[in-house]
Amino acid sequence: MDAVLDNVDLYLKGFGYTIFLFLVSAAISLVLGTLLAAARVGPVAVLRTFASAYVALVRNTPLVIIFLFFQLGAGKIFDWLRFGWVDIHIGPFDFTSFFTAAVAALSLYSSAFVCESIRAGVNSVGLGQAEAARAIGLPFSGVMSQVVLPQAFRASVPPLASTFIALLKNTSVAGVFGVLDAAARMKGFTNDHADQRWGIFIAFALGYMFLVAIVSAIASVLERRWRVV
Amino acid sequence: MRLIRTKAVVAGLGLALSLVACGDAGSDSEGADVEVKEDAASEFDDGTRMKELADAGKVKIGVKFDQPGLGFKDAADDIPTGFDVEMAKILAADLGIAEDEVEWIETISDNREPFLQDGTVDLVLASYSINEERRAVVGQAGPYLVTGQQLLVPEDSDVESTDDLQGKEVCSVTGSTSLDNAEAEGMKPVGFDTYSECVEKVLDGTVEAMTTDGTILAGYAAQNEGELKVVGEEFSEENIGVGYSKDHPEMCQWIVDTITQAHEDGLYDDAFKATLGPSGVDTPELPEMDACES
Amino acid sequence: MTALEHEPRTAGRGEPLVVLSRVQKHFGQLHALKDIELSVAKGEVVVVIGPSGSGKSTLCRAINRLETIDEGTITLDGQPLPQEGKQLANLRAEVGMVFQSFNLFAHKTILQNVTLGPIKVRGMNKADAEKKALELLERVGIEHQAEKYPSQLSGGQQQRVAIARALAMEPKVMLFDEPTSALDPEMIKEVLDVMVDLAKQGMTMVVVTHEMGFARTAADRVVFMADGAIVEEGTPEEFFTNPKSDRAKDFLGKILKH
Repeated sequence: MDAVLDNVDLYLKGFGYTIFLFLVSAAISLVLGTLLAAARVGPVAVLRTFASAYVALVRNTPLVIIFLFFQLGAGKIFDWLRFGWVDIHIGPFDFTSFFTAAVAALSLYSSAFVCESIRAGVNSVGLGQAEAARAIGLPFSGVMSQVVLPQAFRASVPPLASTFIALLKNTSVAGVFGVLDAAARMKGFTNDHADQRWGIFIAFALGYMFLVAIVSAIASVLERRWRVV
Repeated sequence: MRLIRTKAVVAGLGLALSLVACGDAGSDSEGADVEVKEDAASEFDDGTRMKELADAGKVKIGVKFDQPGLGFKDAADDIPTGFDVEMAKILAADLGIAEDEVEWIETISDNREPFLQDGTVDLVLASYSINEERRAVVGQAGPYLVTGQQLLVPEDSDVESTDDLQGKEVCSVTGSTSLDNAEAEGMKPVGFDTYSECVEKVLDGTVEAMTTDGTILAGYAAQNEGELKVVGEEFSEENIGVGYSKDHPEMCQWIVDTITQAHEDGLYDDAFKATLGPSGVDTPELPEMDACES
Repeated sequence: MTALEHEPRTAGRGEPLVVLSRVQKHFGQLHALKDIELSVAKGEVVVVIGPSGSGKSTLCRAINRLETIDEGTITLDGQPLPQEGKQLANLRAEVGMVFQSFNLFAHKTILQNVTLGPIKVRGMNKADAEKKALELLERVGIEHQAEKYPSQLSGGQQQRVAIARALAMEPKVMLFDEPTSALDPEMIKEVLDVMVDLAKQGMTMVVVTHEMGFARTAADRVVFMADGAIVEEGTPEEFFTNPKSDRAKDFLGKILKH
């Protein structure tokens, strides 16, 4: 544990990257997953087929393979997929191609699960709600955005919370793909302080548990606040 | 900690028993450069780990599989190659065990101590830097090689030293000492699972350089001749040693003696020339090895 | 039943507003609509009755294309129903629909339920939409519940809100798909009263119902359906006192016995 206490700045910086990876990927996968869910339940057959194929492909692929694709494959096909154009520095944090590739992998992966969570929510909204919305003349986008999705999101909060908790922990894969996140820091610490392995494991496990607890707490607040009266 | 140690002892005992059960010491298959000792078991005192291993005719050695020149094995190979592996063969041969009787197990930076503690391997020769923290949990004999960290850059790169890479991204293996050193030198470390992924990133220009022990880099430079080169002064000193379990402190002196003897016989130099020599690294003197405790 | 005790209107037949011609619809093996010919004039109140499974709900839902049809044409105000997209949405804005199960938006307040269409579809500003919504809610007697959520209201109240929600779009025609079938008996009257008022004010209405009292009092025309076909139609007077078809006689015999 001393190893962590003596290097608490590195510990916090590691979790800083973890949090950034999580927040950015969560936001992107929420948007992407929602669009996918809308495509899956929508009236356009081509989009329905595309969205189901996307979900089937991405959900059945291990996350590490998606990471490998972005780190070692995608850039060979399309140069912009090397993400060399990303170069942002905020305080002690550097967001470059490695961070971006990790966000791309995490977002694409999680969006498939977000899509399925929201689709489950959409299915829980009675058909009559959508019919009533169509009956007052709302177009498909309005039916979704005004009536179906707001209700679907409420029903989706518990499965979405699970998806995001998984995402939070999945960020650790980025540790072996060029991002010095908490998991990478933990490996560094255990390498340097082989005698304190257990203390280091516990310190980092507690860090992840703390972050997961925050996500769970937010989820339960939303669930309570959005409960249909 | 106590819990783990107890577990390691239990695991070690179990292992020893199973090894004894295997029987059949010695082997008549010839090593490439190293002469396998006949009737090795008789040379060790009863109760020593060396005697047990020699009796069993089996030893499990952890090496790296992804470091050309030190420890490298691709899917087609049965036996890994590299300087660490040659050193391992010398030790095995002294136990009367030929290279094809050795169980070669891949170890990565993360699992070397746990593998030694739980008996998954008997010895570790995996570019294993000696340091105090490691010596608190496992035994480390040596060093048998001193290396320093350098930079591997594309052939046409202008980078000459770490000064040229201040604030720049430099690749190494996640959780390695090299990565920490790079950070301490003012570079921005980028960690991957294996060195080969870093080489990939240097070749495609995503990062300007990768860094780790010069010997490892030399191996990659040789593998990618004309595309990559090793540059810069060594900016760290790594003392590479042999890892063994703390449960068998008697192994330390045996390792030191065996390697010293191999050096006197010229086997050490031969091993170096055969493995790291082609990368253009001069054969060093055998470093003065640390004294073994009692 | 005071509100229902008035003479059937003999509203002057205006221009045909809704016209169904040779409409066919299948659900798999089931022939749900058979060669339907029906014309509803402006200001006319048409009540569709028939045994369950006769296709009357499907007919009603086909008029704003909540059900697609296999063959034939449906026109509204002379325009054929668009296939989908923006034009279809525009058409639906002109057709009010009241469902058996109310289908109020569960996550929105009563007021928001009524203002959603005017604001999002008609582009009305919020203040105007709310003013109008409160007027409509007052007309259906729910003005004091505007800030509540649908689940806090009784079924009868919810259905009256649903009528207000449809009226807020100022539709050309109102479709009622069994509006009282999901209600407890004591709440049926409050909904029918609102519907009778609407009829009196000249709204064009197509009402699928089992409420024979409403059909007698408010309908200009009764359409009797069985097995997906229109079997018989006529004024309420003709139909209830002197049904021509055996199917209608049989149906009326069954429901009037109780």
